[in-house]
Amino acid sequence: MAIAVSKEAGGVRSRQSAYRLRDYTNWMFLVPATFFFVGWQIYPILRVFALSFTDYKYLETAPPNFVGLQNYVDAFSDPIFHTGLLRAFQFTVMFVPLTILLPLLLAALIDRVESPRLAFFYRLVLLIPAVIPGPLIFVLWKWLYDFQMGPINTILIEWFGLFTRQTAPQWLGGTPLSLPAVVIMEVWWGLGYHTVFFLAGLAAIPKDLPEQARIDGANEWQLFWRVTVPRLMPILSVLVVLRFGTAMSVIDEFLIFGGFQRTSPTYTWTVYMYDLAFKIGYWLQGYASAIGWLGALAMMVFVVGMLYIFRSRD
Amino acid sequence: MAAVPATRSRLRLPLGTILQHLVIVFFMLVILLPVVWVILLSLKPLTESYSSQLWPSRFDFSHYGFVVTKIQTLPRNMFNSIFVTLSTVLITTLCAVLGGYALVHVKLPGRALLIWLLVASLFFPTRLLSLISIYEIQRQLGLINTVVGLIFPYVTLNLAISILIMRGIFEQLPHELVEASRIDGCGPWRTLLFVLAPLLLNGVVVVSMVNFVSAWGEYLLAVTLTNDQSVRTLPVVLASAHSGMGQWAYPRIAAVYVIAITPGIIVFALIQRLYFKGLTEGALKL
Repeated sequence: MAIAVSKEAGGVRSRQSAYRLRDYTNWMFLVPATFFFVGWQIYPILRVFALSFTDYKYLETAPPNFVGLQNYVDAFSDPIFHTGLLRAFQFTVMFVPLTILLPLLLAALIDRVESPRLAFFYRLVLLIPAVIPGPLIFVLWKWLYDFQMGPINTILIEWFGLFTRQTAPQWLGGTPLSLPAVVIMEVWWGLGYHTVFFLAGLAAIPKDLPEQARIDGANEWQLFWRVTVPRLMPILSVLVVLRFGTAMSVIDEFLIFGGFQRTSPTYTWTVYMYDLAFKIGYWLQGYASAIGWLGALAMMVFVVGMLYIFRSRD
Repeated sequence: MAAVPATRSRLRLPLGTILQHLVIVFFMLVILLPVVWVILLSLKPLTESYSSQLWPSRFDFSHYGFVVTKIQTLPRNMFNSIFVTLSTVLITTLCAVLGGYALVHVKLPGRALLIWLLVASLFFPTRLLSLISIYEIQRQLGLINTVVGLIFPYVTLNLAISILIMRGIFEQLPHELVEASRIDGCGPWRTLLFVLAPLLLNGVVVVSMVNFVSAWGEYLLAVTLTNDQSVRTLPVVLASAHSGMGQWAYPRIAAVYVIAITPGIIVFALIQRLYFKGLTEGALKL
């Protein structure tokens, strides 16, 4: 509206002021997004950064004191934080290769399906887990892993006869199997979505390229590694880095699966941060902030390093 | 492929094809079975709640009626989920369309920096780190333990990726269209509303779907920012419903579960064609 008015009045006004008005209204497009970004992302992150230099305790009425780098010094020698980072890293190392390679294989297979109807059906099934929200997936798998009524143990016992009811594996509840159990669930969850992602990437490869390679005598395996994978490299590298980041900062599934039991392998640095900030004593949010920032920085070192490696290869 | 004449490869091809389909079918079953299992669980009679039997001895459809009518807070929880999700999807999609448009077709100083910031935010654990301060903000605004309050942080969860997806969509649109509309005297707002809006459908579908799934299932913020059962959303109720007796016997929770995952699957089934089109149109080009 403002633009229409200024256009009509433009006969008298100089062109320059009309432009300036236009530039001003151009920013209006970004106002809604900026409102949410600044209010609930940028400000909170900066605020948490500021808090990390104080001894802020949420439930204490006394105002927080500035303590300099003390929280960071404490965190550096905090064994719970160390184990927490290590656990998150173990999880990531198990999770990322599986969640990239399995979908890649599946996508390569589905891409070769000739019948368009079948290919369409497969794609539809693939996206079913992707439309079930994460936390609901975690709830479902908590039941699947259940020691007593869970179907995973039932299948292992009754179909394969690998265990008896007494010796059946205890998947959750702080056993060493807890992290692999979360990994399996996460891979299942990402399987469909990542496959569809790769299928879209494969669709962009010109069809005569693999044909040519076949005529030149390449077998399917060579074709996969020499033609398909290099072509998918851009998508692949972005996905590896993104998944590395999400895996290092996983929290919902650890809360749902393991709770706040410190000996559980699911008690990572993220759970520790949450525990400090909202559960322990007076809610030690100053220290929790420092833990959060340190953990984030530690993973950002890897993320930036990986981005750098992938970039230089292009 | 039919052009390969050698008998050896003709023999090998069917075997390979069979193997290929076997592997695909195996993965399809792996994907589908957990979902099938929970549906079967919701149809088990109560007496079989704890039995490890996979197939119910008879089908009992009464749990669905029970959970909707007899668990008093549940209709409320469903309403909360629907309200928060729809608001989040609407607001985020609007922000994303406007933002994506601004980043492609409108003259803005500092555009490159903005795009860089958006991409960088995808790699940073913002959701986790901002949690401590979001609690404080919500408390100061009086939004703790309210349903409306959840909408604000929810919008930001996927805002960056949504804007980037819409930017990809806008970049696919012919620039001549915008030029022509500008020459005809349309300002940037009118161009967006009357010329470009009809062409955005597929992108809007993708963005809505992304936001629908994340808002519908959000757990961390919801469990932190709400206390009372009556203001909680379905995922929190489900995650905290400890198995067991009475109201929360397994078949009954499973019924709640099936109710919770159905909207997503139905919506997706209805719009999947548009969704796939949107994905290939530019949503994948970050």
